[in-house]
Amino acid sequence: MRSHPVGRVGAAAAAGTCLALLLTACGSGYGDTPEGDGALTVLFGSSGEAETAAVKAALAAWSEESGVPAEAIPAQDLVQQLRQGFAGGDPADVFYVSPDLFQQYAEGGSLYPYGDQIEDVDDFYPALRDSYTYEDELYCVPKDYNTHALVINTDLWEEAGLGDDDIPTSWEELAETAEQLTEGDRVGFALNGDYNSAGTFMLQAGGWFVNDDNTEATGDTPENLAALDYLTTGLDEGYFSFVKDIDAQSGSEALGRGRAAMVMDGGWVTGAFDNDYPELNWRAVELPEGPGGQATTVFSNCWGIAEASGDHEAAVDLVRYLTSPEQQQAFAEDFGAVPPRESLADWTAETFPEKAAFAAGVDYARGQVPVPGFMSVLNEFTTGMQGVAAGSAEPADVLAQLQRDGEEALGE
Amino acid sequence: MAQATRAARPLVRGRAAIWVAGYAVLAVGTVLYLGPFIVQLANSVKTDADAAANPLALLPDPFSAHAWRRAFGLDTALDMPIGRWLGNSLFVTVSVTVGRLLVDSLIGYALARLRFAGRSAVNALVLAVLAVPGVVLLIPKFLVLKQLGIFDSYAGMILPLLCDAVGIMLLKTAFEQVPRELEEAARMDGAGVFTTYWRVVLPLVRPALITVAILSFQGSWNEFTHFLVATSDPAYETLNLGLARLAAGPLGGAQQFPLKLALATLSTIPVLIVYLLFQRHFIASQMNSGGKS
Amino acid sequence: MTETRTAPPAGGGAPSPRPARSGRLRPPRRRRPTGAEETRAGWLLSAPALLALLLFLVAPVLMALWVSFLDWNGQSNPFDGDQEFVGADNYRRLLAEDTLLHRDFMVSVRNTVYFVALNVPAVTALAFALALVVNQRILKGRGFFRTVFYFPSITSSVAVSIVFLFLFQGSGAVNGLLALAGVDGPNWFTDSRGVLHILMAALGLTEPGRTPEWAGGTLGGLPLWEWLSGPSVAMCAIIALTTWASSGTFMLFFLAGLQNIPASVYEAAMIDGASAWQRFRYVTLPLMRRSVTLVMTLALIASWQVFDQVYIMSQGSPAKTTLTPAYLSYARSFGDGQFGAGAAMAFVLFAIIVVLTVVQRWIGRERD
Repeated sequence: MRSHPVGRVGAAAAAGTCLALLLTACGSGYGDTPEGDGALTVLFGSSGEAETAAVKAALAAWSEESGVPAEAIPAQDLVQQLRQGFAGGDPADVFYVSPDLFQQYAEGGSLYPYGDQIEDVDDFYPALRDSYTYEDELYCVPKDYNTHALVINTDLWEEAGLGDDDIPTSWEELAETAEQLTEGDRVGFALNGDYNSAGTFMLQAGGWFVNDDNTEATGDTPENLAALDYLTTGLDEGYFSFVKDIDAQSGSEALGRGRAAMVMDGGWVTGAFDNDYPELNWRAVELPEGPGGQATTVFSNCWGIAEASGDHEAAVDLVRYLTSPEQQQAFAEDFGAVPPRESLADWTAETFPEKAAFAAGVDYARGQVPVPGFMSVLNEFTTGMQGVAAGSAEPADVLAQLQRDGEEALGE
Repeated sequence: MAQATRAARPLVRGRAAIWVAGYAVLAVGTVLYLGPFIVQLANSVKTDADAAANPLALLPDPFSAHAWRRAFGLDTALDMPIGRWLGNSLFVTVSVTVGRLLVDSLIGYALARLRFAGRSAVNALVLAVLAVPGVVLLIPKFLVLKQLGIFDSYAGMILPLLCDAVGIMLLKTAFEQVPRELEEAARMDGAGVFTTYWRVVLPLVRPALITVAILSFQGSWNEFTHFLVATSDPAYETLNLGLARLAAGPLGGAQQFPLKLALATLSTIPVLIVYLLFQRHFIASQMNSGGKS
Repeated sequence: MTETRTAPPAGGGAPSPRPARSGRLRPPRRRRPTGAEETRAGWLLSAPALLALLLFLVAPVLMALWVSFLDWNGQSNPFDGDQEFVGADNYRRLLAEDTLLHRDFMVSVRNTVYFVALNVPAVTALAFALALVVNQRILKGRGFFRTVFYFPSITSSVAVSIVFLFLFQGSGAVNGLLALAGVDGPNWFTDSRGVLHILMAALGLTEPGRTPEWAGGTLGGLPLWEWLSGPSVAMCAIIALTTWASSGTFMLFFLAGLQNIPASVYEAAMIDGASAWQRFRYVTLPLMRRSVTLVMTLALIASWQVFDQVYIMSQGSPAKTTLTPAYLSYARSFGDGQFGAGAAMAFVLFAIIVVLTVVQRWIGRERD
């Protein structure tokens, strides 16, 4: 009697659902041997539509040439999506990697080291190659770079009666000029206020978060204290400000909206100015020297290739194509990426004079801290800097904390 | 007598006071509860600059459909595959809803009507599920999806959402209220357990099925955290997840509020339609669960 | 937030005592189908749901428990034995040692404590007030208003977070409204000052930006003065959003409670000459105690689970004052690759929620 047709439907439904769940349970996890599917995926954090279009065009051109299909996947949140891809055992084949995450991925065996397969690898700036070298092996090659420079609103500059000779070349001059340009609710000089911007001043003072080979925390040094004291004085006097304290999200916004006359920011501001503040008259100059000499932070990404990718050969070929001088020139023209090759330095300076200051910094710059787990330390330091700006924390205490947290992260 | 009239007068005054205060609260409340949605809609048809400068203005100046054109993918080579987002949202939502109806009603019927060894243990397990706070499951779910090899897949997005203790309890209660005689009659006619369930009882709990369906629809359309940890490939982004990543990602600083507000409106519209059509179910189910305790 | 919306019974509420009762009432004479058959059918029908529960709830929790004892960076298989087994180290670093992890966690606990202190009373009072008004028979259009008040509760948390982000910008709509009232609104999402600190400074009790001497100690790795900050201005915006978005659901809970009060009780009170206030104070309120306990418990649980809003609106900034335990656990795992610590934090959070629920239910029960 059970064999009523509708009864079977119910039983089949129950059994079918179970089967679906069970099949799922038997699916393969990780440990799969990588297997090429004859196509590449490229995951990248795009700075905007121009970059997305340029990367897509470059991939299409390479596919045409090589016969290997390549898909561009713009990620909204690259860090998280990439990490989940690694953890899921199925990351994209090629992706952007930043120095702060590089070492963690290299150490974890997620990156395929291919630096020795790039023939003219010496052409890339040493400061950038250092950022992507782990245990003497170059894992990936840089795609572009940027450095912190001083960006000036030239209208306000001229209004204040300042000329080329007045461009600050020392900390003292920066403070004086900023004071001169401060008026009403406009500050003379604004900086982001995060660890990167404070870090640049620490470099100029001769300090930094860690020692040269990234093995020891060097948070509470007199040099770092000098940098923070310098910033604190400016903040207290009101001619320096962190951008968030003047209702801006970024240096470009602070300058574009006239909330600051000078800002410290990276070369990505050029795109923001073109899009959001086309009326703005601005120029970028190299940062003034600190007591420790000329210094700035360099920001970059490299083209990482996943160890788990099944198409290492094709992926390396793609990267070779994307980092060729011709393609880097195309990227520079399309979305303003500064080519990371020394042989293109003159071309860059001639073609993009407004970017010269950002490009020049690479000669004396240092890359972001690559120590795994250091991001939390730096975020805590950023919080401390906000306290300093608000007057509720002392620079020395913030640095002492930085030292303790840094030691903990480095396992000292 | 005198007592009664004395009591009546404050009563009338009380009524008037309640009337005035009541409408005052309702008016203020309506502004507070609808206002954000109206501001949202108004600013989605402004230019970026206008929205930044006059966020309160309800009339755009100038009117700009730019954000909506982008939201529908009509403008420029866009980073955001809105069509894909909508498609994913729809597919996942429908799958979860159908799946839950089936899975929930099967176990709901078993718990309500079948005396089987281990039933109370099953019942206790389902109740325990209700007590597990969702956010502590983010990492665990990620781990299991990886291990099963269904990370970054529709299966990984849909199957975990089939755990739905609320729906099970709703349907179980509904099945319990079906008169037993109907089933007995069917059984007399020789129908087996499945036939009785499928043919006789299921049609009788239609209101509860509709309630579970709309709760599932609303829940999975709005789902965010599960999809966040279940996928990394943007090809699997739902509208909600894509929107969240757009707002939270490092590029979120690029403001573009009209676009974000337009997309937020787009994600609200299906739920709004379902809500307006079935609000009695929404409200009744919510009040039931609240009233019972 | 989603959790409170779709799973209001959360734990104890919904389980009606019905199954047991109907079991007793079942006529014992009915014998077909046989017990074995019923058991087979029962398990077969339950199987899909049980399988889903085991696969996607029980198994994951056990896996995460294992991971919480590992030092695992998320780049390999945590179950192949290659990971370093660190025992209770993650928990120790989280709870007992003066580590950055511990301080971050205590900061998130501090933030949540203030979140609870503001959100729970506010949403309870607001939802109760709305329910009282919507329940007044003499008001017309109550259905419409009920629809309006409940609507934010069913809207996606992502969508409403974006709207509130827009409303609370420095030059946004909220500050525009405040300006109309002559108030110079703060820069909501960048203002890390605690409102208690602001208040104490405004009252002249403390000097702005300086730690007073009496608050110099530390507690649980966090300076005492930090514990006394109150919610930051940024957190207040998130609290406002949560209160707004969840009040509709709780309004319906109160409405259900109000409608359970028999009209005869009010009639009796009116005959006794009780005023509207007296009826509310001496009739409604005592009878609504259970509803109040329920709503407060649910709001408390939800407050410890805040994630979506933080992910979208603030990512914990400014100065970590909007960091919540749930977001911290996520960020440590998926952002920093410290899955062991993240998993440990999830379990500690789970324990906190369970304990709080039990305590509050116990208090609620005592009074009845």
